[in-house]
Amino acid sequence: MNRLSNTRKLTILAQDPAVRFGGPEGPLAFARVEVPAEELGPGPTGYRVKVVDFDASSQLLYKDLIYTSDAPRPKGDPFEFAQEGAALEHRAFEDRLLANPNFHAQNVYAIVMRTLARFEFALGRRVAWSHGGHQLNVVPHAFAEANAFYSEQDHALFFGYFPGRSGKMVFTCLSHDVVAHETTHALLDGLRTRFTEASTPDQAAFHEAFADIVALLSIFSLPEIVGAALSDSAEPPNRDGEVPLIDAERVGLKALRGSVLTGLAKEVGSELLDGDEVHEARGAALRRSVEMEPNKDYLSMPDYQEEHHRGEVLVAAFMSAFLTLWDKRIRDLGTFGSKYNRDMVVEEGAKVADHLLTMAIRALDYCPPTDMDFGAYLASLLTADAELIPEDRKGYRRVMRETFESYGIDLPAIGCHVEEGTWCPFVEPADPPITYARTNFASMLTDRDEVFRFVWENRNALGISERVPIEVDSVRSSTRQGPDGFFVKETVVTYVQTLDMFAAECKVLLGFERPDGMSTKQRLEVFGGGVIVFDQYGRIKYHIVHSLTDKDRQLRRLEYLVDMGEIAPHRGLRDRFSALHMARAEG
Amino acid sequence: MAQDPTGVTIFSYQVGFGDCFLLRFHYDGGDRHLLIDFGTTGIPEHEENDLMVRVAADIETKCGGMLAGVVATHRHADHISGFATKADKSGSGDIIARIDIGTVVQPWTEAPDAEKDSLGPEISSDVRSLAKRQASLQAMHDTAARVVEMLDTKALKHAPKEIKERLGFIGRDNVKNLSAVENLMRIGGSHVYAYHGSDAGLETALPGVTTRVLGPPTLRQTETIRKQRSRDPDEYWHFALKGLNADKKFSEAGEEIRLFPDHPAHPGGKLPMEVRWIAKRLTEGRSQQFLGLVSALDKQMNNTSLILLFEVGGKKLLFPGDAQIENWRFALSKPEIVALLADVDVYKVGHHGSLNATPRSMWAKFAKKGGKDSGDRLTTLLSTMPGKHGHAEDHTEVPRQSLLNDLKALSDLHSTHEMEPGKLYQEVTIAFA
Repeated sequence: MNRLSNTRKLTILAQDPAVRFGGPEGPLAFARVEVPAEELGPGPTGYRVKVVDFDASSQLLYKDLIYTSDAPRPKGDPFEFAQEGAALEHRAFEDRLLANPNFHAQNVYAIVMRTLARFEFALGRRVAWSHGGHQLNVVPHAFAEANAFYSEQDHALFFGYFPGRSGKMVFTCLSHDVVAHETTHALLDGLRTRFTEASTPDQAAFHEAFADIVALLSIFSLPEIVGAALSDSAEPPNRDGEVPLIDAERVGLKALRGSVLTGLAKEVGSELLDGDEVHEARGAALRRSVEMEPNKDYLSMPDYQEEHHRGEVLVAAFMSAFLTLWDKRIRDLGTFGSKYNRDMVVEEGAKVADHLLTMAIRALDYCPPTDMDFGAYLASLLTADAELIPEDRKGYRRVMRETFESYGIDLPAIGCHVEEGTWCPFVEPADPPITYARTNFASMLTDRDEVFRFVWENRNALGISERVPIEVDSVRSSTRQGPDGFFVKETVVTYVQTLDMFAAECKVLLGFERPDGMSTKQRLEVFGGGVIVFDQYGRIKYHIVHSLTDKDRQLRRLEYLVDMGEIAPHRGLRDRFSALHMARAEG
Repeated sequence: MAQDPTGVTIFSYQVGFGDCFLLRFHYDGGDRHLLIDFGTTGIPEHEENDLMVRVAADIETKCGGMLAGVVATHRHADHISGFATKADKSGSGDIIARIDIGTVVQPWTEAPDAEKDSLGPEISSDVRSLAKRQASLQAMHDTAARVVEMLDTKALKHAPKEIKERLGFIGRDNVKNLSAVENLMRIGGSHVYAYHGSDAGLETALPGVTTRVLGPPTLRQTETIRKQRSRDPDEYWHFALKGLNADKKFSEAGEEIRLFPDHPAHPGGKLPMEVRWIAKRLTEGRSQQFLGLVSALDKQMNNTSLILLFEVGGKKLLFPGDAQIENWRFALSKPEIVALLADVDVYKVGHHGSLNATPRSMWAKFAKKGGKDSGDRLTTLLSTMPGKHGHAEDHTEVPRQSLLNDLKALSDLHSTHEMEPGKLYQEVTIAFA
């Protein structure tokens, strides 16, 4: 019987051309990753991604990668390295691949698709791009510049290239973390489109931090890369017939932080950094994040008001929790004298990374749609996990919460369950009660208008002002499988309210005096909104709100906007992400 | 010792898009002169190319070969290009160099390394303030130069015309005018590199005139009013420059330099239909990125501008160069300065009348604004040329129409763009009590 496969394996660089197994003389760390199988067009072009190898600097269009059905390898990985007897050819093979733009095209295609698939797995549904189209353009050699960014208005990810200090060309499209990071910007924008708006310092920082967290955890979920970081031999791990052992002291919490996390961050950076002049490159930022010791005061320090630096605090908290959990699982492994089986250590790391990645992505469904902050993200993380795994047996939630709090990221003051740290379940008010009768449940699963009718009908019970326009901006159903094998079905609805007001009305409408530096006639847009999560019976399970009239949040936001000079309409998205470095230059 | 001056005549020279003001202070013992800026990036169509030489010669004549001081507010071409010299000594800067000049006042960012210790603890103790800032200014000049060079390459060939025009204009204004910068270092008996609160060094040469330096702030001063801090603001421009150098190489290259020499490629032009949209977007977006780059460096350069307030004979004259809001913010954070500015008599409109250079809060507090019939009315001086900078559609045109309307309605406006063709300057005289 000829069954169509659901997945295909493609060869990618596990991190980038700087990472080799066992030191500089070792082989390049390639990995073969699974991506959804599909009939690819030239590019490759698939159902979600269109790789276009056009270079704006030289105005050249490189010949496409075409996966023909009569290719020598029917599974369709033209860059697979044949294992037998090929070791001597390894260098030549590597050089051929790195010099072939079609391999670069496959590398970006596979990492984008793998990241997308990871989101779809975690959320239990298809995830749309925010531009409304089906395919995201991915341009692996877009321009000669040390930059890579997501542009919503171009429906695209652009990756640049630049000569490193050694003179060798550096391709951002070959850095796993860069590709995963930029893809995450695009996916997050599709899920929470208002997170790119000018808001609080936390919201500005969240996009960068979240993209870094997903990128780092994606790399850690590749055993090849963690194995390379733990390996001190010149041989790749997993040689036949041997149990590779590693000293217990090399996998203690401190050692993991030093050798693995920092080591990896260094390697992640080294390719892009390529010298010491580009201190602001992402590698340096990642390194800072993983080296930050817990401190409850980071978020109030002046250095951490700037959005990129602020994001490092969230990354630091998340990665620190990852290490603690990994360490805990290593301690539960059996030992050979004072040594551990290195492959098991690697596997446990990959498992934790994978679990946390799922948690990180699922949490988005429970995040308020506007004015995001780190505390709300923590509550959402804990809620996402508790929904699927009610008993915190492995202590993921406890460690997460304690670690976040040690970095000064506290749960929101309102709306959270004190002991659990999750969002409080919805409690139906007595007067007026929620009316389910006038809406059609089947339509409510997909139809924004039907959901709006429900919200409008229940605006008083839900505490939503009718004077400010309400827009239901997404209705998404998800099905997730828990460890017990049963499914959790939810419909996640977000709505947003936009209040158009003058600064002079701050006191009357929001309850505080207008911030200094704002004229009375200043026109302001103030946001509020929430997530309504319906259970499998169509009843409200959660109503997570960032209220329009939350005085503290609104004041914090307006003060920040005044300080940033962003009271005026915000820049387009292309600017927003491409200006990543420019914002720092305007200091 | 000379007595206090009895009045001042301000000559606003017609330099097109640029600034050039000669202040003549009337003393009983004879006039004394101060030149504030001398540059252009676009002379009016009806003018001959020798305009700047004629302006220089007129300055030389008017001041009788002696200037008490020269102020170069910042190093943009439209403020200093007139100081450039030529090998055959026929440049406008050669004429200026002939003049006997007392003190040359420039912002602290212009101080040569050797002068570092004379700047006072505010700057000299902060190494970052000077060395890095200057290296960064150089990288900004080079970045601008690179963008201008790239206008004719493949990378920008297909860019929208209006973006190319803006890139050319802003880019050229930010290319280092080495000859002018060097001439400014050579001329003058002494040099002062000023910052908020420092001494402008003009007191002796202009008795009775108090010169307050309101801007630019030092980096430390700026940090005191910012809630957030950049770790390495100066690094960025080196980074940008490096990228542009690579970009220029590939966009100029023919077949000999290819990223993937062995791989077949389609050479731009009429691309296959499935990639046209994104290729066009990318190419256009690229030119917008460049525009973002040169606009950001243009703004930073503007914000190194000196802001000077002259208090003399009971009058206040405010000359803010091209300072934009980020430069103004430190001075305006001090209530005593806000109070000091309320009764300004003469205001040189900032940055040729652009949107961001006349802080609204300050304009609102100018007490001497008023209709035609009001006594003791505010005098405003504007040196500008429409159609060179910005666009009306996005409200970035210079001069900004709404500001121009306000200036006309509420002050006695003297603008070079409304001067009769052929006239070299216009003058305003302010008598002191």
